[in-house]
Amino acid sequence: MLFYLVLIAMWEGIFRTGIWPDFLFPSPLGVFQNVLEGFQDRSFIIAIGASMKRVILGYSISLVLGLSLGLLIVASKFLDEVLSPLLLGLQTLPSICWLPLAILWFGIGEDSIIFVVAVGSTFSVSMATLGGVKNVPPIYMRVARTMGAKGIKAYTSVIIPAAFPTIITGMKQGWSFAWRALMAGELLSPKDGLGYILTLGRDLHDMNQVVGVMIIIIIIGLIIDKFIFGKVECSIRQRWGLNRA
Amino acid sequence: MLKLKGAGKIFSTNNGKIKALENVNLTVARGEFLSLVGPSGCGKTTVLNIIAGLEKASSGKVYKEGREITGAGPDRIVMFQEPALFPWLRVIDNVEYGMKIAGVSKKERRERAMHYLKMVHLTRFAHHFTHELSGGMRQRVALSRALAMNSDILLMDEPFAALDSQTRRILHTELQQIWCATKKTIIFVTHNVEEAVLLADRVIVMAADPGRIKKEYRVNLARPRAPEHAGLIRIVNQIMKELKEEVEKVARSEYDSGWSLQKSAFLLSPDSNVGGNI
Repeated sequence: MLFYLVLIAMWEGIFRTGIWPDFLFPSPLGVFQNVLEGFQDRSFIIAIGASMKRVILGYSISLVLGLSLGLLIVASKFLDEVLSPLLLGLQTLPSICWLPLAILWFGIGEDSIIFVVAVGSTFSVSMATLGGVKNVPPIYMRVARTMGAKGIKAYTSVIIPAAFPTIITGMKQGWSFAWRALMAGELLSPKDGLGYILTLGRDLHDMNQVVGVMIIIIIIGLIIDKFIFGKVECSIRQRWGLNRA
Repeated sequence: MLKLKGAGKIFSTNNGKIKALENVNLTVARGEFLSLVGPSGCGKTTVLNIIAGLEKASSGKVYKEGREITGAGPDRIVMFQEPALFPWLRVIDNVEYGMKIAGVSKKERRERAMHYLKMVHLTRFAHHFTHELSGGMRQRVALSRALAMNSDILLMDEPFAALDSQTRRILHTELQQIWCATKKTIIFVTHNVEEAVLLADRVIVMAADPGRIKKEYRVNLARPRAPEHAGLIRIVNQIMKELKEEVEKVARSEYDSGWSLQKSAFLLSPDSNVGGNI
């Protein structure tokens, strides 16, 4: 906490020296005021709401798609050999590269942004599912087989729970991809949302707003990463006894 | 009744084919406690896996009650060397796992699981996670998980090999009691001859390269048995003698020419000139 106070103090100090004009380098106070105003006139709240709606929708789609794609591929050796390299390639493609295609398919607006968000995290979720399932210790499967679990039952009772720690890591990574894809999408195809007010700030030369929105984006990303995925991951590790070094 | 007829197994590896098992004929009576011993690589685990249906025999057939075995099933529960408990389940849920798959009702499941946990003295830990248990406790959970399936055949693949000798001794006693109480058919694979003789009615000695049955011994001793019993030690020594040759054969093939046979068991101790001054 102290570190951040020092950081803000240094920021203010540099601002006070006046090396850069205030439309290029904002002061912490100005940024804070701007954020406060944004929340008071509800424009930030509306933007956050719009962004969250998109990311939740896109991310949910990617979870369903990614999990089923991963499970489908791992179930067949042929699909695994054919599709795994493709999947890896698509995962390395920055999701914003899908935006031109999305705009042509869905037009500028809501659908294309959700598409980009979904594409952004689908592949890391499915790669993690693939890897997690492949790394399930064979002994678990042998136990399941002698206990009479076959087919779907073996999947739901052993393979998926055993792969879950890896899958949740992929979901976490997918979330951060989704969040980045959302911001990029909103910047390039603006309608509303956090990315939109960020561009608006640039257009109006309102440096306070630009930095303020950036900070909000960081904080939201951090909160979800730490408090949702961090909690889930930690409780799973606790359960499995992986936290004991 | 379990019957192996001319069972053989060939593993294909990158360095060619390995004959792991050749023409194994074996009949196991209902309620019998059978041990398989042999040097490492003699295919004793392969025999067990073939009976379990986890591996397919390359030649020959396996019958249970006259019906051919084609795959793994809950009528032949396997207990492995490692506990292989599921870390995402609590102890009690691990024990209930097989019954859940079999579709046993929740109430009955819980009762049976508690009954078998009681048998291995672990009811206090029913709601713990498996990583909170010691190695011996985990293996006991695995035993109660296997028993809870109520299968008439229990296949055990060196289940106590990784445990310390005290824990192993306790589990030997428990297993004997459980066998007397449940009258299951148990096939017990081990490399430990004392363990085999202590537990089994019949000990099958296997030879390596290719894996085959060499000899069998009946152990007609009263139960519960203690490892210090003279009759038991006599059988152990007989089997040891039989095995020594096999172990050396395996060692020679594994160590190449660097292995030399022990020439004499005579110890050249400082006392070897005792009586020299008479």
